[in-house]
Amino acid sequence: MLQVRIEGRGGQGAQLAGQILATTFFREGKYIQSFASFGGARRGAPVSSFLRVDKLPITLHCDIDKPDAILCFDSSLLNETLLEGATFRTKILVNSSKGTGDFKHLGDFDITALNAVNISRAHNLGRIVNSTLMGAFAGLVGAPDIETLLAVIREMSPVKIEENAASCREGYELIKKVKEAV
Amino acid sequence: MKLKDAMLLTGNHAAAYGAMLAQPKVMPIYPITPQTPVAEKLTEFQLQGLLDAEFITPESEHSAMAACISASLTGVRVFTATSSQGLMLMHELLHFASGARTPIVMVNANRTVASPWGFWADHTDSLSQRDTGWLQYYVENPQEALDTVLQAYKTAENPSVLLPAMISYEAFYVSHSLEVVEIPSQEAVDSYLPPFDPELRFDPEQGRSFGNVVSQELYYRHRKQLSQAMDKVFAIAKDADEKWKELTGRTYGLVERYKCENAQHIIIAMGTISGTARAAVDKMQSDGIPVGLMKIRLFRPFPVDKLRQELAGRDKVIILDRGSSPGTGGGSVLHQEVKSSLYGLKNAPEVYGYLAGVGGTNITPEKIEDLVKRSLKEKSTTKSIWGW
Repeated sequence: MLQVRIEGRGGQGAQLAGQILATTFFREGKYIQSFASFGGARRGAPVSSFLRVDKLPITLHCDIDKPDAILCFDSSLLNETLLEGATFRTKILVNSSKGTGDFKHLGDFDITALNAVNISRAHNLGRIVNSTLMGAFAGLVGAPDIETLLAVIREMSPVKIEENAASCREGYELIKKVKEAV
Repeated sequence: MKLKDAMLLTGNHAAAYGAMLAQPKVMPIYPITPQTPVAEKLTEFQLQGLLDAEFITPESEHSAMAACISASLTGVRVFTATSSQGLMLMHELLHFASGARTPIVMVNANRTVASPWGFWADHTDSLSQRDTGWLQYYVENPQEALDTVLQAYKTAENPSVLLPAMISYEAFYVSHSLEVVEIPSQEAVDSYLPPFDPELRFDPEQGRSFGNVVSQELYYRHRKQLSQAMDKVFAIAKDADEKWKELTGRTYGLVERYKCENAQHIIIAMGTISGTARAAVDKMQSDGIPVGLMKIRLFRPFPVDKLRQELAGRDKVIILDRGSSPGTGGGSVLHQEVKSSLYGLKNAPEVYGYLAGVGGTNITPEKIEDLVKRSLKEKSTTKSIWGW
């Protein structure tokens, strides 16, 4: 089973990112479970979104405290509490203007930083980074398939459909390049 | 389940699909977090022409339930949905609904009750309605929510029952969890659920009144009949579950057993914790601990006879309760219910009651394993224990 935590702030689209990734994995023939925990809607407050993907039906209904991957929309949320259940094997992607090296002090973790805001802005999406980060996530984890993801993003984006798709692809390509360089 | 025939739905939307397929004629609903998407989806169905129903938006949950009762008494199918504080506000009318013998079906997204304020998974809201004469189901995922709405109608509307039914599922873990769900066709559901056609109803052609002032003896007789109707539910609900299996291939039972063969110890839970407990059971069995799981799916009527039959001769019973009732010997409702069910049973197991997940705290398979291992080392007490 693949278990993913998506951490963001209300309004950034962390919950929707979980649902889009879940829909993509489902289209690839997997069982999924995607839920978020946020209580009363509060823009800017932390939102945890959880995604499970498996070949078999999923009966677990609890938070993910030992994730295989973490997708973090805001570097202020990448703290000791979030990293408690992570190991050096956990693939962590963080949206930040800082470099990957700036997160070394957090410990022996596999953290990749990406300035997703820059990419999203270049595609006329302002500060809405979820499409960019989902593309980068697919590049980092090796799943889901980028073409399936792009198709789902096109279907589920309410506006700026091609901008979201292009931003997703750029996030994906950039992370692929970073991975190849390593 | 074939994935190609399925779609992704949250628990709220799955419940709304269940309601839509039942084709109710009246839906008085007051929205409340985390139930609101149920109401939203039903209005969408109405706009799409999939549902020919009157959607009433009263000023409170109290009025919503009052509207449900009046509508049901005219002999039409009624659906509503609520959560937590909304359910609390309905309390007076919940008694009225069962007393009026109206087979209303309602979903309740289990959410912590104030004070303090919260939005988290907790069974206290519906457990504290246990004496209102409603059937109570607890489900663990969106598919079961959809299926149970339809099973609940079939059971509640049976002329031998005519009692309202509540289906509870937990905030966020089910209400907002997007999962794979198979939706039966309208034709299939129509073949399962006949139109609601009660013999007695408000009808301008017939002179009748409901809910009159009665004498002590008549009131006594009425309550006795209500109780006797509740006693018939178990067999009728079991039949509804079996017929659902014939139609869809899916069955749950009213007490669902998971790997209980040769299990000396049994975990008892309701709702999502039973889903998580399956993983804990798998792990412990592979480690050589003979433990199985029984999920209480129908909480009212409580499956007393079934539990006595299933639990006789077992070693230990470990109850995990996500609801609390202060002043009941430590605070677990489920613990009290199971203990009283087993009273006087020969070869009764030792019973351990743990409060687990109250307030929506995260219950993982590891935490469940920890509680089972604690019970294996400790002597049982009559008091429930605050676990996690």
